[in-house]
Amino acid sequence: MPNDEVDQDETMNCGLGLRERERLYAGFRQLPEAMPPRVVWQRIEAQARAEGLVRHRRFPGSRFKWIAGAGLAATVVLAVFGLPRPATDTGEESFPTVPAYAEQNNALALTTLNALMVESQALEDDLRSLPSQPQLVRAGTAATIAGLEEQIAIIDYRLNDTSIRMSHEQMELYWRERVRLMNLLVQLRTAQAQRNAF
Amino acid sequence: MSKFTDIQIDPGIVRRAARGDIGAHEIIYRAYGTPVYSICLRFTRVPAHAEDLTQETFVEVIRSISGFRGDAPLGAWIRRIAVSKALMFLRSAWHRRGQSLDDDWEEATPQRAEAGAAGQADQGIDLDAALARLPAVSRAVIWLHDVEGFTHREIAALMGKTESFSKSQLSRAYQRLRPMLEGEAAAAGEAASAADAALGSC
Repeated sequence: MPNDEVDQDETMNCGLGLRERERLYAGFRQLPEAMPPRVVWQRIEAQARAEGLVRHRRFPGSRFKWIAGAGLAATVVLAVFGLPRPATDTGEESFPTVPAYAEQNNALALTTLNALMVESQALEDDLRSLPSQPQLVRAGTAATIAGLEEQIAIIDYRLNDTSIRMSHEQMELYWRERVRLMNLLVQLRTAQAQRNAF
Repeated sequence: MSKFTDIQIDPGIVRRAARGDIGAHEIIYRAYGTPVYSICLRFTRVPAHAEDLTQETFVEVIRSISGFRGDAPLGAWIRRIAVSKALMFLRSAWHRRGQSLDDDWEEATPQRAEAGAAGQADQGIDLDAALARLPAVSRAVIWLHDVEGFTHREIAALMGKTESFSKSQLSRAYQRLRPMLEGEAAAAGEAASAADAALGSC
């Protein structure tokens, strides 16, 4: 995949014809990617901390465990509503959309999924670091927060249900949606905390 | 073809990383760790070296991301760091062996490379093995040029060499790979002829 016309001419002069180059590029596209061992990130994190390059993670306070409780309760009540049902053992194929990024190769998809999981975890940390909900909240805000938590809980239920077999693309779709909802929740709770600070 | 530019990271994550948020850095690592490790492994062929270079690359990312202006995509910026680290490693390895970049062409045995390539003709392209048999510099140049899309000028700058050096390394790499590509084409042609003959006899 040379960058400019000059390079392409040079490539032709290097002794490879068009068909040979096409075969070569096709071969390059099929080469597998290699994932680094798990320990590599631990080494990076340890070195970054040792050099004082990063801030420490904010650890959760116990007062925010209500989120998990609310999510669990909502799961029981609302599991049957809301989200489309992915393919199951019965062969049901009702998932409505296949995202454009489903065309990506497996290694890239796995990378994206990993990134979404970590981002989701980081947002959980952010949420836990916020002060607890005030006693008096606006009804509209409370309802919106409750709605978001319910949707997140439903996604968690789907992702943790071992009887549901999901394709990689479906899992990515769920994780992407979870990150989107978590983002909204964090923004809403941050705004709420800022309002109460005054 | 490069994986680096296919991956998108939310600008908010980059801003958090620039403030030293380790969680944001982990997201960036999860996104780019595989392409970085892959390119380091492609250049060095030794997993332990690739791991070290991946670590060095991401520590450099953590160290320098506050200066990342966003003029180029994040993936291209990280790739440049990884490539720079990998080439620096190759250069240092040559220093240890008392060799220079220019000597590298003589490193691999041509007969071995060509015999291996010809042997693969009836099995389709085994490009991975053929690349492995190339000298390290030729392998790096063909990868940077054909897969990552670097120009000869950029490759020359990264290697501290001239554009002519990059072009000649690419040409030599093609020469080495050519028997394999021709063999594969011949095998495909023979298979098609055999299929035609079989259909004709029916």
